Amino acid sequence: MTDTRQFGDLATQLIAESRRSTLTDTLLKYNDNLVRSIIREQRDLEKMTETSQNVTPAMLIYQTTIVRNKRCLLAYHKHRMDRLRDMYWTTGGALPHILSNQDIRGKLSPHEVDFLRQYSTSVMDYRAGFSNELDITASITHPPKDLHVLVHVIRDCGIIQTELGTIDFQKGQRFMVRRADIEHLIVQGYLEEV
Amino acid sequence: MVFLPPPHLASASRPAYAEAYANILVAHRRSPLTSASSVIILVAPDVDALCAAKILAELLKQDDVMHRIIPVSGLADLERMKDELATYAELHTLILLNMGAILDLSSENWFGEFSMKLTVHIIDSNRPQNLANMFAGGENGERFIVWDDGEAENMGDERKAWEALTYEPEPDSDEDSELNDEDSVRSNEGDDLDDDEGFSDRGPSGKRRSLGDGDRSQEKRRKLDDQSTRLSREQRETHHKLIAKYYGSGSWYGQSASATMYILATVLERVDCDLLWLAILGLTFQYTTARISRNTYDKYHSIYYDEVFRLNPLPPDVAANTTDAITAMSPDDLSVRAAEDLRFMLFRHWTLYDAMYHSSYVAGKLGIWKERGRKRLTGLLAKMGFSIPQTQQPYAHMDLDLKHQLRAKLNSIAPEYGLVELTYPSFARCFGYRASPLGAADAVEAVSALLDVAGGIRMEVEVEGARHGGEWFGGGRLWEGGRKGEEKREKRIEVGSRQKDGDDDVDADVDGEERKERTWWVKNFWAAYDALSDIVPLRDALSLAMSLHRAIIRQGTSIIDKQDIRTMRSHRVVVLSQGPDLALFAHPGVLARLGLWLVDALRDRLPGTKIGGLQGRGKKSLPFVVACLNERTQTYVVVGIMGALDFGDVRRNEFGLAFIEAKQRCNARSRHSTFDASVLEIEQEDLKLFLETLCEVGEGY
Repeated sequence: MTDTRQFGDLATQLIAESRRSTLTDTLLKYNDNLVRSIIREQRDLEKMTETSQNVTPAMLIYQTTIVRNKRCLLAYHKHRMDRLRDMYWTTGGALPHILSNQDIRGKLSPHEVDFLRQYSTSVMDYRAGFSNELDITASITHPPKDLHVLVHVIRDCGIIQTELGTIDFQKGQRFMVRRADIEHLIVQGYLEEV
Repeated sequence: MVFLPPPHLASASRPAYAEAYANILVAHRRSPLTSASSVIILVAPDVDALCAAKILAELLKQDDVMHRIIPVSGLADLERMKDELATYAELHTLILLNMGAILDLSSENWFGEFSMKLTVHIIDSNRPQNLANMFAGGENGERFIVWDDGEAENMGDERKAWEALTYEPEPDSDEDSELNDEDSVRSNEGDDLDDDEGFSDRGPSGKRRSLGDGDRSQEKRRKLDDQSTRLSREQRETHHKLIAKYYGSGSWYGQSASATMYILATVLERVDCDLLWLAILGLTFQYTTARISRNTYDKYHSIYYDEVFRLNPLPPDVAANTTDAITAMSPDDLSVRAAEDLRFMLFRHWTLYDAMYHSSYVAGKLGIWKERGRKRLTGLLAKMGFSIPQTQQPYAHMDLDLKHQLRAKLNSIAPEYGLVELTYPSFARCFGYRASPLGAADAVEAVSALLDVAGGIRMEVEVEGARHGGEWFGGGRLWEGGRKGEEKREKRIEVGSRQKDGDDDVDADVDGEERKERTWWVKNFWAAYDALSDIVPLRDALSLAMSLHRAIIRQGTSIIDKQDIRTMRSHRVVVLSQGPDLALFAHPGVLARLGLWLVDALRDRLPGTKIGGLQGRGKKSLPFVVACLNERTQTYVVVGIMGALDFGDVRRNEFGLAFIEAKQRCNARSRHSTFDASVLEIEQEDLKLFLETLCEVGEGY
């Protein structure tokens, strides 16, 4: 079947996958096979352009296809990178939390994991410069109304060190704590605001 | 271990509630580096403690004090919690709500070994309280503070007796001797009462000895010993008897914990409608579960009545309206009004017929469990001029003029059937336009239904309008309060959002079952806690309360029909070992309700028996012991209830002591799973022996 395929067909499939991911608002698994076949197709096309010397209409078609494939590959990867970046920011920069979640981890390729790690490092470096004044990883959709917040523990998160001492969060108990200290726990789903 | 007098008895030298609260704040603010886990509140699982916890949490929140609320189900739970609390170095305030009064908290078993900067506040409505908690002083004693309601002023005799016994040396022992002799003299008294109650005035008395004769010179010592510090045998005996009488006359209840918290809020000048409503709920809970008598209820009611009018002034024309016509005046109207409540169960949310059928007072007087009794009920309703279709309508849909006439008609016609005293003064709260006004008794019913059965058991609730083939989808649906709340929680992000119940992963074995049971109980606790301030789950919980009552009636009528009540010499026993609702009655709270229903229903039909008590004086009462089989754990849950002969009166519950003694005598394998000594869980095989021993114990009185 591969012989009779149109040029750029695989790239269209890749774009369809990106579109599906946007419409269902989920991150799909990194389609390694498809990417590799497209790259193989690129190589074949490249070989074909090298053989002939003159600029023939066939060469124009090969050139267009090569450029289109490249564009589709870039679009797919950029789309995924955007989703990963959004995910990173919604969890408030909790990289270990994302990476330890097997669902997500299974959908990423090794390069994407590297991307996340380096991105996280860059953000940390940037943020360390002014973390006294502003915490950029805090949520901006819900402005804090109170200094303290009453939380209910959904999942055990063990002993947390805060500026004001250690708090041992146990399931089924309620705590009144400073919002700043536990905001990241709320975002990650260990605590629930009451 | 000092007791705090209530504010109206306070003076400059005797700190009261406000000072204690101020001390909590000061301790919290003084140590900013460790304040994150410095205040812990332990809450017992009953409605009164929930209300008190809510009031206290609100006050602490307004003061920016970081605190932690932990529900505790019973003595075993408290012990486990204590072991855990011992590891917290930063803890400096511990507040116990409705638990711990009977325990000697300064002993090594409990909190005696904790660090010196820990203060323990005990706000408990259970009586009797451990005298050591109340009266012992000294540096060790200052750490434990009992918030008293004024009763301690009248306990001067007990105080003198306790102090005399604790501080005075033995008459014929050496002045320098250790207190080992004292221990042996008191052992005969200590045997009567179980260690569970922690009664140990022989506790760490070595320290208190220093208050006595340490510094006197030899001569003076001898002289003074001869004169004042040597107690005669008779004096010793009288002191012993006085203290034994205090502990041995059964258990009763004092001022509700929520009332104590409300007084604190009043002193701090921070009351508002919400806190007032919570305090009212605590009081109503005590009254409807027969913990306090009608007189005590009236006394507190008048206080709250004044408060209601102070906080919710009504325009003069509305104030003259009949109390049935309570309506919300605006969409944001959240005020509390005084209302006369009828003794019918969940009266405004049910059909009139159902409300009368399910209330224990009416059931007793008319004999509802027989067909004849039901006819009498319909006859009564007919005489009052209510047609049958009208009585089968939910209250909200009844004709307006019938609603207005209801009270008047009841007053005139009901006495013919023996139903007197059908109304009692109570309160209702409006919720704007979101729900119809809710009476205090109904709210208490809903919250305690949530506490007992919100989760962990399948309950079918009726859909309104489903009777008589009204609905297409069948008459009932499963109660889903607990679960739905969880599933509705939004999926925040893909990452942490799989809201599976963590429990399902964790348990895989029998131990896991117990943990599941405990987590269900904790979930119920928080569901009830949230419902106290949110009308939507509270309203939903009303249907749960209704199906709970239906189950109680079913079981109660079948017990009476089958004549399942065995009369022993001094009390009556009911044992439930089969039936459709067995799993439901395995919960102690529900079982206690069944017991109360039986007492109310049979009040007039059974002669009271004299229960002697330790002193031989007896008041007639209706003692009931109800036992139910828990099939899953193969144990019986046993609840002892002391009903009074008159409606609205209460008796001290002596079953706690009786159970403990019977348990010791027959060596039954049992445990107390709650804070109430009259609720016991016992192995299946030991039940018969236990019940027989209980009769012997009764005979000894």
